Amino acid sequence: MDHTAQPRSGLFLTMHRWRAVAAAAAPVLLLAAPALGHTGSSTGGFLGGFAHPLFGPDHVVAMVAVGLWGAFLGAPAIWLLPIVFPLVMAFGGVIGILGIPLPGVETAIALSAVVLGTMVALAARPPLWVAAVLVGGFAIFHGHAHGAELPPGADIVAYSVGFVVATGLLHLTGIAVGLLARWRAGRIAVRTAGGAIALAGVAFLSGLG
Amino acid sequence: MSGFVAGLLHPLALPAHLLALLALGLLIGQQTAGTRHLSLAAFVAGAAAGLTAIAFGVGQTPAADVLLATAFASGAAAAIGRQLPALACTLLAAIAGGALALDSPPEAISIAVATATLVGTGLGASLTLAIIATGVDCLTRGREWNWARLGARILSSWIAASAILVLAVRFVRGQMF
Repeated sequence: MDHTAQPRSGLFLTMHRWRAVAAAAAPVLLLAAPALGHTGSSTGGFLGGFAHPLFGPDHVVAMVAVGLWGAFLGAPAIWLLPIVFPLVMAFGGVIGILGIPLPGVETAIALSAVVLGTMVALAARPPLWVAAVLVGGFAIFHGHAHGAELPPGADIVAYSVGFVVATGLLHLTGIAVGLLARWRAGRIAVRTAGGAIALAGVAFLSGLG
Repeated sequence: MSGFVAGLLHPLALPAHLLALLALGLLIGQQTAGTRHLSLAAFVAGAAAGLTAIAFGVGQTPAADVLLATAFASGAAAAIGRQLPALACTLLAAIAGGALALDSPPEAISIAVATATLVGTGLGASLTLAIIATGVDCLTRGREWNWARLGARILSSWIAASAILVLAVRFVRGQMF
């Protein structure tokens, strides 16, 4: 067996490309200012919860990237990520609600857009557990930000349902767009979208977003 | 609106109750026929016990929190998508039925209207659960993988996430127990 052969397709990240990605990201991370894209909404009820994730552009692009990446990775990731993410995000939300501090939340949220967008742009296909750990890790920070921003006095059941549904719909939007990757032109479009998300993440990190 | 109709619609009018019924229905609908029937019967029995306790004037209970906890447990289990042991599913259904009933005290001033409301609540919750579970079973039956099964699991994870968030908020606000 030829162990030096490139697995499945040339779209996989090789080690030197991983290093290039890390090298390119390092200066940005060192200079990163806290991203302020996640402003949230302060109203209660279902609509307040539903609007909350949609008013944070860093959150929106990261959620769409999760869906895009899931579609790119194919089964079982395509359905595993949208199931795992809300549960892990809720865990992060509970931490935020309980007031347990988590360092670098906004930076991590912006970084999630950079990393997930880069994964889509490079059509990276790491093992499923790596993808799950990566997405799950970021989900904790997204959840923490939402949990910490829950408005006082809101109809909390309706608010939580709205907030989780909006997040899930963002994933499904990403998956729907990501399914275009079945076609060659669609694949280019999806990878371009991933690149745009990564750039947006860089803007959030640098405080431009 | 008569007491009976008000009771009938009660589980549909409260988001927490609807959430719990949806989660339990999604879970029960994915089980074998035997477990499904047993769980539905257990829910009815639990609801009947809870409504009877209300009729006998039971005081304050942590029913709202228990109901949310069952919504989380049902949602998480349904999201995982594996068959539960019949005993676990049946117990969960019985607890959910009892908690839902105990969290539905009627506001009527006459005993007749209150009784009608309680009966309506039990019937409405049981029918809603049966419809959801049967619908899920019909959509997902016989196929190892399909979009309906996937949708049910995604919806279940959303419900579990919502329920645990609500429980955390209730805890922080000192509304728990």
